Amino acid sequence: MSTVEPVVTSPDAAATPLLEVRNLSIRYGRKGPLAVDDVSFTIGRGETLGLIGESGSGKTTIGRAILGLVPVTSGRIIFEGRDITRLSAADRRTLQGDLRAVFQDPFSSLDPRKPIGDALSAPLRVAGVPRADRTFRVQAALDSVGLAPGSEERYPRQFSGGQRQRVAIARALVTDPRLVVCDEAVSALDLSTQAQVLNLLSDLRAGADLGYLFIAHDMAVVEFLAQRVVVLNRGRVVEQGETREVMRNPQAHYTRVLMAASPVPDPDEQARRRQAWQQLKASASAPVA
Amino acid sequence: MLFFVLKRIAWAILTLLIASWIAFVLVHLSGSTPGGVALGQSATREQVIAYNESVGWYAPWLQQYFAWVGQVLQGNLGVSLIDGRPIGPDIAKRLPVTAALAVLGTLVSAVIGITMGVVAAVRGGAIDRGITAFSGILLSLPAFWVGVLLVYVFAVQLRLLPATGFVPFAVDPQAWARSLVLPVLTIAITSAAGLARQTRASMGEALTQEHMRTLRAVGTPTWRIVYIHALRGASLPILASVAIQFIILFGGSVIIEVLFALPGIGQAMQSAVGSADLPFVQALVLVATLVVVVVNLALEFLNRVLDPKLRAS
Amino acid sequence: MTVDTTSILRIRKPQRRLGGRVLRSPAAMLSLVWLVGLVLASLTSPLWLRYGPLEQDLSAVLQGPSWAHLLGTDELGRDLLSRIVTAAAPTLLIAVITPIVAVLVTVPITLWAARYARAEGFVNRLSEIVLSLPGTVIILAFIAAVGTNMPLVMIAFGLLLFGALYRVFFGQAKSLHQQLYVEAAAVDGVKPMTASMCHVLPNMSTTVIVQFVLLFGAAIGLQAGLAFIGLGPQPPEPTWGGMVQTASKFIFQQPWMMIPTGGVLALTIIAANSLADVLAGGSAMPPSLVSLKRRKTPADAAATAPESGTPSASTGRAQAAASAGDVPADADGALVVQDLVIGVDDGPELVSGVSLRVGRGRVLGLVGESGCGKSVTSYAMLGLLAPGLSVRSGRILWNGTDLVRADEKTLQRVRGHEIAFISQEPTRALDPMFTVGWQLAASVKRLRGVGGREARRIALQLLTDVGIVDPPRVLTSYPHQISGGMAQRVAIALALSGRPKLLIADEPTTALDVTVQAEILGLLRGLIAERDMSIILVTHDLGVVADLCDDVSVMYAGQIVESGAVRDVLVRPEHPYTMALLAADPHAILDFEGTTRLASIPGQVPLPGSWTSGCRFAQRCRFASDECTAAIPLQPRVQGDGGVRCIRRDDVRGRQEEWRRPVAVGGER
Ligand SMILES: Nc1ncnc2c1ncn2[C@@H]1O[C@H](COP(=O)(O)OP(=O)(O)O)[C@@H](O)[C@H]1O
Ligand code: SF4
Ligand SMILES: [Mg+2]
Repeated sequence: MSTVEPVVTSPDAAATPLLEVRNLSIRYGRKGPLAVDDVSFTIGRGETLGLIGESGSGKTTIGRAILGLVPVTSGRIIFEGRDITRLSAADRRTLQGDLRAVFQDPFSSLDPRKPIGDALSAPLRVAGVPRADRTFRVQAALDSVGLAPGSEERYPRQFSGGQRQRVAIARALVTDPRLVVCDEAVSALDLSTQAQVLNLLSDLRAGADLGYLFIAHDMAVVEFLAQRVVVLNRGRVVEQGETREVMRNPQAHYTRVLMAASPVPDPDEQARRRQAWQQLKASASAPVA
Repeated sequence: MLFFVLKRIAWAILTLLIASWIAFVLVHLSGSTPGGVALGQSATREQVIAYNESVGWYAPWLQQYFAWVGQVLQGNLGVSLIDGRPIGPDIAKRLPVTAALAVLGTLVSAVIGITMGVVAAVRGGAIDRGITAFSGILLSLPAFWVGVLLVYVFAVQLRLLPATGFVPFAVDPQAWARSLVLPVLTIAITSAAGLARQTRASMGEALTQEHMRTLRAVGTPTWRIVYIHALRGASLPILASVAIQFIILFGGSVIIEVLFALPGIGQAMQSAVGSADLPFVQALVLVATLVVVVVNLALEFLNRVLDPKLRAS
Repeated sequence: MTVDTTSILRIRKPQRRLGGRVLRSPAAMLSLVWLVGLVLASLTSPLWLRYGPLEQDLSAVLQGPSWAHLLGTDELGRDLLSRIVTAAAPTLLIAVITPIVAVLVTVPITLWAARYARAEGFVNRLSEIVLSLPGTVIILAFIAAVGTNMPLVMIAFGLLLFGALYRVFFGQAKSLHQQLYVEAAAVDGVKPMTASMCHVLPNMSTTVIVQFVLLFGAAIGLQAGLAFIGLGPQPPEPTWGGMVQTASKFIFQQPWMMIPTGGVLALTIIAANSLADVLAGGSAMPPSLVSLKRRKTPADAAATAPESGTPSASTGRAQAAASAGDVPADADGALVVQDLVIGVDDGPELVSGVSLRVGRGRVLGLVGESGCGKSVTSYAMLGLLAPGLSVRSGRILWNGTDLVRADEKTLQRVRGHEIAFISQEPTRALDPMFTVGWQLAASVKRLRGVGGREARRIALQLLTDVGIVDPPRVLTSYPHQISGGMAQRVAIALALSGRPKLLIADEPTTALDVTVQAEILGLLRGLIAERDMSIILVTHDLGVVADLCDDVSVMYAGQIVESGAVRDVLVRPEHPYTMALLAADPHAILDFEGTTRLASIPGQVPLPGSWTSGCRFAQRCRFASDECTAAIPLQPRVQGDGGVRCIRRDDVRGRQEEWRRPVAVGGER
């Protein structure tokens, strides 16, 4: 990811969105309730889309469906103009690492028994990159996330939480992807480490043709990173739009509650938010939570 | 719930069928034939074949098997090839011996094992290390060796108890009890250790649960924390090991019964296998499986009652 | 979604390779030497044994140990040593068949079942059936069929073990398959079975090896048992079980024979089992969460505390010498912590000289990143420190008593009655085995000394007080049947059951969604107003502090680095760490227009034991200079009451925004 490549090859490519999710519905098991209910959104090339909602709202399920980790009940997922809704494991390999992921838990997303270089080169091996090239690209990826040369020979336990999340990001970026699904990629981190990783994610996309689907439960984190945002509640989209618009002028009642409930570290501003929240609660016909 | 019960019972029946089928196949794969065993060395080939014909030995296996199942369903387990006596009543006479051994053995080893495990988990430190090392050794001692050593000490040297033999309860309860002391002690010594380890592990795990801190924070006294909350939390895995213990003793008390000359079903199995008494072997496998299946069913229902998560669903 | 700060409470042993574990354990080495030595001795026995195993000497039957026959002779005058050694290799080598068969059959099936949900149902059923087969009886029936062919019997035994072994393996294989790195491999495009082989199997290897060794021991036992009842290899071939059987026959004439025959067998099984124990990582148990032992008189504890170089320790000791009588007069209704030092017994210090004060009806926030010692400090206030941790010095004054030096009885009187505690994981804070009503009523009964009926009425009232909509239903629910927010309300009700004056809340909302968090914070605010309670609120969320707290103390690496009124600390921070935290918090940015960076604090919180005598923030502080290596006291802040622990506080005041400047792109260590 150290080089910036011009990517728009044809006018068509510019017009097709990077990812399109159409009327996606997913249920777990045969009879369970819908975990995701008729969700549609698109992500443009190089765009960051925030997906926000509380626990159980279906955001992780959507991310996993895009990565092919849960079966889709109905609807379509189109990546760079190609329907990937029900791609077989073998066909998924033909995406050539254009679609990658960073998971929430920096402790379980790396195999404790393998040096991290193995984790980074696995997708390259699958894509058939020759060995010499692989070493070079692994080192470049580690360098781009600020890890010292030689890190590829160390084991996950030798890294702190924040460093592991960097490793996870390097592993996502090593194939030079177009889209990275970041599922709660910073939620398990402490404030200072979270800031490091957020800055890193923001630096990496600058000038590159790299889009993120940034899944989080924290408004402020999404606000920091995402250009557009989709608000989910109980599997349904309640609101979507430009982040700035949605934050300044939230339309859905749920979005307003979510924003008012998120506390800020300023006593006076927080007192205002609290009041707003109490009013919203009082005015709501149906109780929240 | 009803559905659950029916499903479980159906599984139990399937298990019985599979076990008895295995026994049937094993019996038919063995070199012996009923005629050969029943008539002994002196019989001629023709006599043996005629005998085999008469019991339907040459019919297709499935046909034979289902004929046997049909007989069993009518309560007829067949007759012994060795002495020609019906097998059913013989087993019925032997069951109480094995049952007494298994029940007493399980109870005594449960009391000893659970106590040891709780003490180890609660006291920790040197006491824990001591109990763990000790139970590690007990766990490894072969039961028959321990049994013989006990016989040597209590029967040969101290002359406190009979070395071997069995007196039925109905004949003389006191002699009955004395005849069971050494077998039960042998079982307790060799089985308590496993229960102690399971108890220690489950208790240890229960004591590290987050709610222990809450309990302490509202001033719950230590004895309540240990004996009500931790022991209750550990109860399910402990109960499961006790049940497994019982099953092992019921089906596997062959060695103890042979060693102490107790006329139980284990001893019958040994002699039936030794003398190739095929119908007896088949019947014993069925009975032993029945015991396992029943104990497992009981355990499962008990779990339903004891585990709030299962009860709710 | 939760930040689990309690997971670090369990210090992880550095993972050692299995080989290392064995090499470092005398017991394991001894076992290994015994097993290998036995096989080697047995295989080479024709070369060095003085008698053949079948060589009879009817003039020397049933002898005890002597120079001629080191272990004595049997009833035919055969040398016992020869027979025991000769029997060893066949016994052990044939016994290996069982674990090999069991593992070869079970492991692939387990991996398959753990990966494919459809296979799982089928294999589970299959294993249940196998598990329900009466093992010993089937083995005997098998012997009836194939005779005493030991290798075949061992194979059958291995197959019968499938049920039990599958139980052991499946749980682990399943949870390994759910590990994110297995999913990550799927995203990489690695084939499913390849991923299982590369990522799941190696991580199961310890379990597999341990079971292998255990089954090996069991197989030796089974062989001996069969030989003992006459169903093993037939005489005159020597077998261990057969020899014990002979010994038992001649126990009246020569009891000695029992010792070597059974002893070798027992030692061999002990060796296998202890090897398995060591391979499994030892039998060490994690210490229980709360201390179950009678407390040492804490005065002793303080006296035996190791010398510590920090200045706070000496003041702590000075105060410890003073009797508990000289409690400040204004302490009524307040909790005062003075110079509290907490450490791991024989280990590093975790908290160094923390002082706090919560006045009646006030809320004190204790804030900092994970691992700074917030939870440990809050546990100490109720004597809830985990075994292995103790207060080394300092005082915790409450209503004229020093809780550090109080005996267990005094503490039990305080816990729940005067000071209550709620913890981070609401659903795990309640006992899953009992209903909410049972747990609430039990503590109401004890804390208020009322009868059962009255206790249930109070329990119902408490649930209503904490804003639960349908109290009767919740009373009869089990903890797993209620949501996290509801569980936290129940935990608060439980804390209120003794009408405490002070509530210590350790990250009470961290595990909850923001909307639920807002509700719980509202509830706590109501409690303060209605019940005149004080709260110590431990959190890592500055927004929560702003919402609820009057005062706040910022902790870093076991020390308070800044304290004061909430408005002073959050709006006009004087310590670089507080500034950095605020600048790193995206919530602090009210308008994202123009802001593109958060403060990056390089590195991470230093671990206990690696603290220097100077400023503990120095390696990460962008204002650090040479002065910062000296010991730095907490000095009064410039604006408002409270303290700041920074030698350059006058130079750095107001320079919060500088934290946003990048150090180097992704260049932090
Ligand atoms: N039982 C224990 N044994 C040893 N160290 C511990 C124990 N409990 C906590 N610690 C250590 O004490 C430090 C502070 O932990 P903690 O109070 O949980 O921090 P916080 O609550 O601020 O996240 C951590 O480094 C932690 O590893
Ligand atoms: S004392 Fe020095 S290193 Fe420590 S916070 Fe102040 S300026 Fe930074
Ligand atoms: Mg904590």
